[in-house]
Amino acid sequence: MFIKIVHLSIDLKDFQLRNVNLDIEKGDYVVIIGPTGSGKSVILETIAGFYTPEAGKIILEGQDITHFPPEKRNMSIVYQDYMLFPHMTVYENIAYGLKKTSDKDHIEKEVKTIASLLKIEHLLHRLPGTLSGGECQRTAIARALVVKPRLLLMDEPFSALDIKTKKELRQLVKTALKEYQTTTIHITHDLDDVWHLATKVVMIRKGRVLQIGPPEHIFTNPTDDFVANFVGANRS
Amino acid sequence: MQVSFKNICIAVSIFFTLILFIAISSLFVVPKPHDVIMALRTPEMVYSLKLSVLTALMATTCAISMAIPIGYALSKGSFRGKGIVKSIVDLPMAFPELVLGLALLLLFGNTAIGKIIEAMGIRIVFTKAGVVVAQFFTGLPYAVRILCSTFNSINPRYELVSRSLGYGEFETFKNVTLPLAKNGIFAATIITFARCIGAFGAVLILAGGSYMKTEILPITLYLNISYGNIGMAISSGIVLILISFLAIATFEWLERGNVY
Repeated sequence: MFIKIVHLSIDLKDFQLRNVNLDIEKGDYVVIIGPTGSGKSVILETIAGFYTPEAGKIILEGQDITHFPPEKRNMSIVYQDYMLFPHMTVYENIAYGLKKTSDKDHIEKEVKTIASLLKIEHLLHRLPGTLSGGECQRTAIARALVVKPRLLLMDEPFSALDIKTKKELRQLVKTALKEYQTTTIHITHDLDDVWHLATKVVMIRKGRVLQIGPPEHIFTNPTDDFVANFVGANRS
Repeated sequence: MQVSFKNICIAVSIFFTLILFIAISSLFVVPKPHDVIMALRTPEMVYSLKLSVLTALMATTCAISMAIPIGYALSKGSFRGKGIVKSIVDLPMAFPELVLGLALLLLFGNTAIGKIIEAMGIRIVFTKAGVVVAQFFTGLPYAVRILCSTFNSINPRYELVSRSLGYGEFETFKNVTLPLAKNGIFAATIITFARCIGAFGAVLILAGGSYMKTEILPITLYLNISYGNIGMAISSGIVLILISFLAIATFEWLERGNVY
């Protein structure tokens, strides 16, 4: 098992995540779906190391990383609102994670490769404030992927984009992830993301996992009425 | 014209701004320009201006250096007693400067802390160092308040992204948080400097108001009013107003240019 989440519980005073169990294989593209306030982002940020769980474990490639700080986990995160550092150019944003470990020539080569893959090589000298939403998100994805993370975490990465850009970006992400062979957890409430990207779907509500399975399984065999209503399926 | 609530508020603001403007302008209108220039050239005024700028710069540097970690802790930190720390740091803004001066005089004069500092060869009470200390404690709460709200306004996810890319807490603070707080730090520096250079009560009590020894601009104003030397008093008032005006104008300019 590549990543194993065992009985994970977290208490954030106004929100509790209860007894989450999840197994992810290497190369999986896991999409977590659920209504607003169901705890999707909390799961993601706990895996990234931003919250300390009250109970449970996160095992990555056999190693218990539950209490590792975020910088020791080798996981990258992409947010809906990009979070590009506004005082750095696109090049500097992408190169940021490499600066700690690589020399200048290697950084330049890697940045150019990922920029070409995500079609942003013409934007490298620009500041984030001058980019469109789609360009910002491609930069954020490039910044996350260039460090070759063990796990890529994406929190509603396409939500702020228009339909056309969303479609293009889904395809680009698919290509880039194949190239970088990255295991991914993606949070969304957009079922198109599930159909186009997911190999495994996790349905969550009020801090509890309701159902886990391949997309076809969730859509054709929802375990309860809530899941059926959420994915728009009929319950047999 | 319809008398709306908004128009009443505008009228009130214009009325009181006008009164304040007339009060400030009278400082510039009452003395003759020649007398002001002559007063500015006297050894007392030159000494006072130099000492004021020097001590205010030192106090501002110390206050900002301390306010950055304090403001960050109060904004991003979660610890027991955070509310009490916040209230105590803010307290000097609420009570009279004279009381702050008295408290500092007792601290550096009568307590173990004062005796330890004196044993190290540093004399605070009735010295120039006392001017810096009094200005520091007068300006610190303003610096902390501005920096705390600056750090509050920075989305914590910037730091989370940096951490996930391999940078520890301090590296993230240095590479991401500090550059994002740049405008707030400038604003805090300007307001703190203005507050330090204008500090009076605390300086008078802790450092004393000694002629050409611990004499800073507000002390010059006070001493000359006491002697009946109105020209000198007004001249030091004008210098203080010009410094404050420059500080406020720069603050407004930076606030408008906040690109992040």
